[in-house]
Amino acid sequence: MTNFLLETVWLVPCYALIGGLLALPWSPGIIKRTGPRPAGYINLVLTFLAFVHSACVLPITWNHLPHEISIPWLNIAGLNLSIDLEISSLSVGAMVVITGLNLLAQIFAIGYMEMDWGWARFYSLLGLFEAGLCSLTLCNSLFFSYVVLEVLTLGTYLLVGLWFSQPLVVTGARDAFLTKRVGDLFLLMGVLALWSQAGTWNYTDLAEWATTANVNPTLITLTCLALIAGPMGKCAQFPLHLWLDEAMEGPVPSTILRNSVVVASGAWVLIKLQPVFSLSPMASSAMVAIGVVTAVGGSLIAIAQIDIKRCLSYSVSAYMGLVFIAVGTQQDEAALLLVLTHALGSALLVMSTGAIVWNSITQDVSLLGGLWSRRPVSGIAYIVGTLGLIGVPPLGGFWALLQLASGLWTTQPWLVGVIIVVNALTAFSLTREFSLIFGGQSKQMSDRSPEVSWQMALPMMILLGFTLHLPLVLQSLSLLPTWATVNKDVALLLIWSSIFGCSISSVIYLGNVIPKPIRFPSKPIQNLLAYDFYTPKLYKMSIVLGVDMISKLTDMIDRFIIDGIVNLVGLVSILSGESLKYSTSGRTQFYTFTLLIGVSVLGMLVTWQYWGDNLFNLIF
Amino acid sequence: MQLQYFLLLAAALFCIGIYGVITSRNAVRVLMSIELLLNAVNLNLMAFSNYLDSTAIKGQVFTVFVITVAAAEAAVGLAIVLAIYRNRDTVDMEQFNLLKW
Repeated sequence: MTNFLLETVWLVPCYALIGGLLALPWSPGIIKRTGPRPAGYINLVLTFLAFVHSACVLPITWNHLPHEISIPWLNIAGLNLSIDLEISSLSVGAMVVITGLNLLAQIFAIGYMEMDWGWARFYSLLGLFEAGLCSLTLCNSLFFSYVVLEVLTLGTYLLVGLWFSQPLVVTGARDAFLTKRVGDLFLLMGVLALWSQAGTWNYTDLAEWATTANVNPTLITLTCLALIAGPMGKCAQFPLHLWLDEAMEGPVPSTILRNSVVVASGAWVLIKLQPVFSLSPMASSAMVAIGVVTAVGGSLIAIAQIDIKRCLSYSVSAYMGLVFIAVGTQQDEAALLLVLTHALGSALLVMSTGAIVWNSITQDVSLLGGLWSRRPVSGIAYIVGTLGLIGVPPLGGFWALLQLASGLWTTQPWLVGVIIVVNALTAFSLTREFSLIFGGQSKQMSDRSPEVSWQMALPMMILLGFTLHLPLVLQSLSLLPTWATVNKDVALLLIWSSIFGCSISSVIYLGNVIPKPIRFPSKPIQNLLAYDFYTPKLYKMSIVLGVDMISKLTDMIDRFIIDGIVNLVGLVSILSGESLKYSTSGRTQFYTFTLLIGVSVLGMLVTWQYWGDNLFNLIF
Repeated sequence: MQLQYFLLLAAALFCIGIYGVITSRNAVRVLMSIELLLNAVNLNLMAFSNYLDSTAIKGQVFTVFVITVAAAEAAVGLAIVLAIYRNRDTVDMEQFNLLKW
């Protein structure tokens, strides 16, 4: 039985895919009479099945060597593409997280999408995402990781564009697709360049190759930079981060999935490729630089937002930046732990804010307030999500940040400073959002705000429990360091930065000393952060402008020069016909004249040999 | 006397005829110029017949035929001119440019 479960764990992505396909008949155009709800229930059952299956397999794989499966896919002209699957405790554990979070998000969606008819499309796309993410974790081949990433990019486009009658959704989905696509295309360049150097796309073989590889440093640096660009777009890192902000136009339950798991898909590939990145110090430092800029920038921007969902999306970018730092400094385990704790914390935060939005309609935090006494469940969920994300000792985020920071303590102390600053800033922004939503005076929009129904409260509470139990689980798996081996300086710094951020924020936003809405001493800086460093304008002025100009230019060249040359031929023949017809003058004497000319010219040509030379000699 | 002189005279006459055919505005004068052309040809035929074929004199036979045909052609030509004149009340060649492009 156990062996059977282990052997068939590759079915987990299939469950979700089948669920996605089975949801489609309940599209409003096909089953017209009974409503879309069964689509959600079917998906829920299949996701539950996937979760149980992967959760049963997890103990089997624990402390065992990875079990590898290779399924041939295409064998042509020396290129042998096989779908390599790796069933390790890591990949199965990731599947448990993915299916578990998807299960909770789907239960949440049953409540949240109550008054929506588009369940078939929504749930089939959630199923597609779950299938994609699970196959990404199982997949042990860079090539098929790329395939799955591209499928997920398409899925993002469709899922963000769920309510396509809203104009902002359409532009958001467009940006999400194109931005991620650009990163993916760079990744494809890197993937292809890696084949010619390593001759394999299997992660295990790549790691082996990287230990003894002797490669051109420039070449491997360029390859690594291209490989970074893919996850850079996926993880919403600077400067490819605008899409995550605009993707907040999508429905909240999908946001749960995206904020916690989908953005981590890029990080997963990055972690898997870490041995290759270690070949190029420059790529590693570029990764660290991207991570630092995103982490600091993202957490600063998050502070200046007024949209409840966008506050959180920039924190996601910031945490993914920390993952970039971790991978750039060769700390895979810290990166994985960070992804795990961030997934739980972030999902809980999005669920809590989603529950607030569902009943309070507005997403503007400046219009909310005073919900704590009436919405304790959502409030507690928010607090636990916050504590799970930032560095507060018993909860998960602390251990991940601690592991990352203590790894850098001796080698790159300035990065520890960055982590502490990001932690403090995230603590500040999350507390600010909490204070604005749950604290202070009740405002018009939040005057009558009942707690949500059980379909939304239940997954929130379950996830809250998971977040609280995460340290215990990690300890029982002996993934946490004992207190004796902990770098206590780092731990104290982290704790102090969290306390610092939270307390300053709550003094500012809960106290009555500073008038609300808060004005920063320098208005331009406040606007700069609130408008996300004017990134849309930057895109519009640089890439979009360039591509737009070039495409207009090529369009004009095609329209006027290429078409013009061909049309000119036709025009010339028409004109020549139109003008040559005047040779038929209608005068008989003119015809006689042309006849005479023709005869004499022909006669001259025929008889030229008898007198032409003499004529020449006579003249010259 | 040489053959060339006859030929040159005939060529000159032919050219005069051509000039008349192309430049005349009167249709009757065009017919007259055509007669000049035919007579230039007749001169050629007679000269060749005399200098190159004095025994069989086929050229003279040709000439007789050409004169006959020319007479018939002139008659038909004048009939055509008359037919046009009846309709259009003029024999000016410049007025006969109806069948153009």
